[in-house]
Amino acid sequence: MIEFTLNGAKVRTDDPPDTPLLWAVRDTFKLKGSKYGCGAGLCGACTMHVDGEAVRSCVLPVDSVAGKAVTTIEGLAEPGALHPLQEAWVALSVPQCGYCQPGQIMSAAALLAQNPNANEAEVESAMAGNICRCGCYPRIKEAILSVAGRASAPPLEELASEVAS
Amino acid sequence: MNGLANVSRRRFLKASGVAGGGLVVGFTLTGCSSSAPPVVRREGDFVPNAFLQITPENRVRFYCPRDEMGQGVSTGLTTLVAEELDVAPWDVEILWAGVHSDYANPDFGVQGTGGSTSIKAHYRQLRQVGANVRAALLEAAAGQLGRPVAQLSTDSGHVVADGEKLPYGQFVATAAALEAPADAPLKRPSDFKFIGKDFARIDALDKSTGAAEFGIDIDVPGLHHGVVRRCPVAGGTLKSYRDEAARAIRGVTDVVEIGSGVAVVADRYWAARQAAQALEVEWELPSLAGLSTERLRADYRAGLDSDGDVDGERGDLAAGFGQASQVVENEYWAPYLAHAPMEPMNAVVRIEDGEADVWTGCQGIGAAQGLVARYSGLDKSKVRAHNTYLGGGFGRRATLTHVIEATQLAVATQKPIKVLWSREDDIQSGLYRPASLIRIKAGVDDAGRLTAWQAKRVGGNIMPDTLRNMMPALLPGAVGEGAIDWMVGLAHGAFDGWVVDHSSIEGLYEDYDTANREVRHVTVNHGLPLTFWRSVGHSYTAFAKETMMDELAAKAGLDAVEFRLRNTQDKPRLQNVIRVAGERLRQWPRHAGRHLGFAAHSSFKTDVAEIAEVSIEDGAIRVHQVLCVVDCGVAVNPDIVRAQMEGSVMYGLTAALHGELDLENGAIKQSNFHDYPILRMNEAPGVEVVIIDSAEDPTGVGEPGLPPIAPAVANAVFAATGQRLRSLPLRLA
Repeated sequence: MIEFTLNGAKVRTDDPPDTPLLWAVRDTFKLKGSKYGCGAGLCGACTMHVDGEAVRSCVLPVDSVAGKAVTTIEGLAEPGALHPLQEAWVALSVPQCGYCQPGQIMSAAALLAQNPNANEAEVESAMAGNICRCGCYPRIKEAILSVAGRASAPPLEELASEVAS
Repeated sequence: MNGLANVSRRRFLKASGVAGGGLVVGFTLTGCSSSAPPVVRREGDFVPNAFLQITPENRVRFYCPRDEMGQGVSTGLTTLVAEELDVAPWDVEILWAGVHSDYANPDFGVQGTGGSTSIKAHYRQLRQVGANVRAALLEAAAGQLGRPVAQLSTDSGHVVADGEKLPYGQFVATAAALEAPADAPLKRPSDFKFIGKDFARIDALDKSTGAAEFGIDIDVPGLHHGVVRRCPVAGGTLKSYRDEAARAIRGVTDVVEIGSGVAVVADRYWAARQAAQALEVEWELPSLAGLSTERLRADYRAGLDSDGDVDGERGDLAAGFGQASQVVENEYWAPYLAHAPMEPMNAVVRIEDGEADVWTGCQGIGAAQGLVARYSGLDKSKVRAHNTYLGGGFGRRATLTHVIEATQLAVATQKPIKVLWSREDDIQSGLYRPASLIRIKAGVDDAGRLTAWQAKRVGGNIMPDTLRNMMPALLPGAVGEGAIDWMVGLAHGAFDGWVVDHSSIEGLYEDYDTANREVRHVTVNHGLPLTFWRSVGHSYTAFAKETMMDELAAKAGLDAVEFRLRNTQDKPRLQNVIRVAGERLRQWPRHAGRHLGFAAHSSFKTDVAEIAEVSIEDGAIRVHQVLCVVDCGVAVNPDIVRAQMEGSVMYGLTAALHGELDLENGAIKQSNFHDYPILRMNEAPGVEVVIIDSAEDPTGVGEPGLPPIAPAVANAVFAATGQRLRSLPLRLA
C-alpha cells in the first residue's frame, strides 16, 4: 500500500509500485486532467508537481511519491478559483485543442513558483520540455510573461462582484 | 483585455454555481428507426430544429454539428447561430451533436469535419437557423403580449417590449406551437454584434482547468482497457503468439485475436500495456516488408521517367517553352509524415442488452456509429455515438480503426472496453502523409511572365485508402469485407492509369497565370496506408512550386514579390495578399545575420502570403519571425483566425525543420518524440497575422496557413547561404 497526498488529501493505493504516477492518478483516483502524450517523459502532457517540483508523471513510479505531496491541474488553484496562469490562458485564448494545456500550465506554475520574475529566455528554457502540436507557443509564452512579476491572483470576492455587476 | 477576462470569469462562476456543468449529451432511441435528431428533450423545451433548444428557464443549447479539434469550430459555429438568435455566444451551452442527417457537413453531405470547410459550409445555414428561431420567438411574444412584432425587438436572449426585457424562455411554449419561418431575414453585416469581433474562445476555460473531456478521459462502470499488438509492417497478419507471461500479470482478464493483431484486456491500462509487451508474437509479413527509404526513393525516381496520367493541361507546352528566355528544371522531395496529435487514438465501446455506446473524439461521429454497428452486428439505430473534444485532429481522426478494435474487444469479452494507442503505435501503426517526388520544368520570358509550366508528381494516392476506411462505416453490414476489398482494389486501379486523385497534385499549378501547362501524375504505391494530413497535397506541392518561383524570379532578374505580382493577373485575391505582404517585406527592419524568404499559396479557397525571417546558427536553421497575410473572406472570429495561422505555421515548421519518417524492412523506424521531434517553444518564432478586411463569405482557415511556411523558410535559407534546398526536411549541406 502506497500512501501520499493528492491535491491536499491523504490517499492510498495498492497499484503495483512500478505503475507510473500518471496511471495511478488517472485510473485509480479518476483525475483525468493530467494527460498521456508519450509515456517517455518527452512531451510534458502529464506534468504534475511533487513537493512543488514539476515532474513527468508518465515515467515516475507511484511508489517514489510515497509520503510526498502530489498536485495535479485539478488542485493547482483553490476550489472555485483560478490560478493567475489559468486566468491568463483564458484571457489570451491560449488553448487550441487543449490536450497539452494542463501540462503546460503545471510546468509554468512550477517555474513561476521558483522564479516569479522569469524573463523570456527563462520561460523558453523551462517550457522547452512541453510539446504543443497545435503550436500555441507564442500565446503560452505571452500568458506566462503576463503573469511573471505580478503579485498574486485576484481574490474570489472580486470575481463575484464582477459577475454581479 | 479586461473585457475578455471578465467573460471568462463569468463563465467560470456560472459553471461552478447553480447552472452546473454536467449536462450529458443524450440520445433518444424512439424505436426501430427514428428520424428525430438526438437531442435531450424535456417537457416544455422548445426544440425547433436539430441545432437549438431553449428551455423555459431561458437556457439556450446549441448542438454543435462539427468536431472541435482545436480549430475553434465550437466557438465559431456558436457565434453564427447566436448572432442571428441574438444571444451572446458565451451564454450558449454547447453540446456535441449525435448522429443525424441534419448534422451533415453541407460541403460533404455526411457528418465529417475537415478540409477547412466548417465555417464556410455552415456560414449561411446556421445563421438562418438562428434567424428563424428568433423570428418564431418574436411572433410568439407578439401573440402573448398582444403587440405587433414591429413594436418588439430582441437583446441578449430577451424580447424587448417598451424597454422591458422578457426572457426568451417565457415564450417557448407559444413558439413551439407555431410554425417557425423558414427564411427569416438575416442581419446586415453592419449590425453584427459578434461576427467579426474578438472575444475569448468559449472552450478556453475548460481547457485551462483540466475539465475539458477528451475521448481518453471517458470512464464507465466496469471499464476494461485493451492494448493491441500490431504487426510492425502495415498489412502483416498474425501467425502465432504465446501469452503465458502476459496472462501472469495481475489484472489481465483476456487475450484476444482481433483483425489488427492480438490484444490484451486488463482492469487497468498499465497492466494491459505491460502484458501486451510481454506477448511473444510472430507475424506473417507482407510484401511491404522488403521496403527501405532508399528503395522507395529509387522507385519514385524511376517513376519520374514514366508518362503517368495527365491533369491540368492547357495551351501548347512546346510553344510555351519556345517563348521562354529562361528554363529551369528541378526535383523536390517530401517524406512520409505522421500527424502525431497530442492525444493518441482511443475509443470506448460498451455493448449491453442489444444496444451499444461509443465515445471517441473524431472527425466524423457518423462513421464511429457505422463501425460499431458493423463490427457488433447491431443495427445503427441501436448504437449511440458520443463525440468529445479531440486532442488534435489534423486529418488523423477521420480514420477510426481504434473504434473497430474497441468494438471487437467489447464483443469478444462482453466488457466495456477502452482502447488506447501508445505514442509508438501512433507513429508506427498509423496512416501517413504520402511521400512525394515532384519534378517541375518552367519557362519565363524577358518580361518576367511564365510561359510554360510542366509538373509531374510521383507517389501514392490518398483516395483509395480513404475509401478503405470510410466504406465499412457507410455501407450496410451485408456488404462484406471481401466486397469492400474488391471495391478498394478497383479504386487503386482507377487512380493509377485512369483518373488523377486531385489531392495528390492539388496546389501544383493553379496559382499562377500560365498559358501553357501540363501536370502529370505517376502512381507508385508500396502499401503504406495514406491519409489526409493538414493541408493534404498542398503540404508538399507549395514547397516545390514556391521554391521554384524563387529561382525563376532570380532568373528573370525580378524580386520575389514583383515576379509573383506579374504572374497573378488572373488571381486578384492572391495577388492582393502578395502585394500587402510585399509592402511589409520592403519595410522589414533588417538585422545583421538575418535573412528573409517569401512565399504565397492558395488553398481551401483562402489566399496566404508569408515572410520568414531566418538566421543560421551553428549550422542550424533558426526561424525568428513570421508574417502571415491571409484573405479568408469574413473572419467570423478574427482571433481564432490568427490562432489558426499561428498554429499552421508551427505545424508546418515542424515538417520543414524536423519531420521525416524512414522505412526499414517495411517498418517505420521512428517511434516517439525523441526521433520524430516536434517544434518546441525555444524554436518557435513570433508570428504576426494580418487579416485582409473582406465582406465575402468565409473560406478555409484551419489549413491554408501551412503550405507557404516551408518554402518561405527555404527561400530565406537561400538568401542566407546560397544553398537551394529542395528536400524536406530542410538540411544544410
